[in-house]
Amino acid sequence: MVHLSSLLLKKYHGGHVVIRLALGGATNRPFYRIVAAYNKRARDGKYIEQLGSYDPLPNIYNEKLVAFNYDRIKHWIGCGAHPTNPVAKLLGLAGFFPLHPMTVTEAERRRKAASTQKNKTDIEDTEEKQTE
Amino acid sequence: MAAFGVTRCLWRSYCCVKVVDQNAHMLLRVTRRLLCVSAPDSSSTNVPRTQFTDPEVQDILTKITGLDLQKVFRPLKQQLKPPKYKLMTDAELEEAVQKAQGEAKLLLKMPPVLPERKPISDVISEDQILEGMDTAKYVFTDINFNIPHRERFIVVREPGGTLRKASWEERDRIIQVYFPKEGRKLSPLPIFKEENLKMLFEQDRHEDVLNYCIVQFEPDSAEFIRVHTLTYEDIEKHGKYDILRSTRLFGGLTWHLVNGQRIDGLLVDMLQRDLMQDAVGLVCLFNLVHPQSESARHAQTQQATDLDLLKIYAEYESHRAGFIELAVQTYKQTKALSTS
Repeated sequence: MVHLSSLLLKKYHGGHVVIRLALGGATNRPFYRIVAAYNKRARDGKYIEQLGSYDPLPNIYNEKLVAFNYDRIKHWIGCGAHPTNPVAKLLGLAGFFPLHPMTVTEAERRRKAASTQKNKTDIEDTEEKQTE
Repeated sequence: MAAFGVTRCLWRSYCCVKVVDQNAHMLLRVTRRLLCVSAPDSSSTNVPRTQFTDPEVQDILTKITGLDLQKVFRPLKQQLKPPKYKLMTDAELEEAVQKAQGEAKLLLKMPPVLPERKPISDVISEDQILEGMDTAKYVFTDINFNIPHRERFIVVREPGGTLRKASWEERDRIIQVYFPKEGRKLSPLPIFKEENLKMLFEQDRHEDVLNYCIVQFEPDSAEFIRVHTLTYEDIEKHGKYDILRSTRLFGGLTWHLVNGQRIDGLLVDMLQRDLMQDAVGLVCLFNLVHPQSESARHAQTQQATDLDLLKIYAEYESHRAGFIELAVQTYKQTKALSTS
């Protein structure tokens, strides 16, 4: 009896393992699983191992829950897996990796946007007071 | 017929309480490890005090709790299953009773009494450059299966950029999300508020309150200790000691009263029910825990045993000396009459 699964298993030419976010959930309600998978697989397709989860919507305590299985992540990185940018950012925020430069850049951009917004509202307020 | 009842109740209650017992056992293991770690500090400052986990203390408490099979295996609220009937010889019946007593001992295993846990306030790193990166906190958990829950890494990255360890309440909640325990809810039930507790105490449901409390909270959390102290105070005030007798909660009640040096009510209750050995055990425990008290010192010097211990305690420490002495005398008279 020939096992068909071995014939159907994809053989990748030059593929590598990545640690990335696989999207799940429902409409207007995303939920990511942190997953070790082959590079060429579909984003939500068959993965090798699930290493954690990430919920991008904050809960009633204003927390975004992220779970990592550090032991297995260390194993896969030791086997030569590449983490993608979002995963690297999350690991940097967790303290497992050094801080990702884009996190710092995004924080600076947000602060700049917030300060320009504040300046705009201040100018509008002062103009209203002058007209009154 | 009694044997059928016992074997039927045995299986039902064992299945129900097994889970809670395993958790208590694991907690005891972990807390014993924690207690060993903290021992060097206490012994350097003062004389080593008797702890709840000492073998003599546990011995006395188990004896006082009693082993009323009818009460331990009374029908719990469970799914209705048709009863199983077995035909046994006398020898098999004795074996089944022995097994039932062993199961009862497991069910009567006391939940741990621990000092209140100190709040965690470790900051791992402060990154001011990340200020304003997001409006929500990020909570990172380690979901490796092999680590005990006390040693798990749960860190929080605040919107201000600080990376700190999660507080005890956050830890309990997050561990319940990823490793749910049966019976525990994510946010505590409204039962544990003061007004609702008072209502339950009026209905004499102290046991249910304490069972809910043990399932919901960790043994060294502030909530656990608060609910337990409230329950014990209420029992002491109204003298309803019999509700908890022959359950696993009696040891905790006795320990609380002995530490507060208020065993008069309990002692009187025991004497009224003619439980002489239990009363003697209680006074022994008191002397063990408070070796500097007058009754303990006099007992040491006179090497007293049994009823003399009761007399010494009645003389020096108790406020209801008359009642205790009277009870001891009547017991001696009845014993003398029965032997003669």
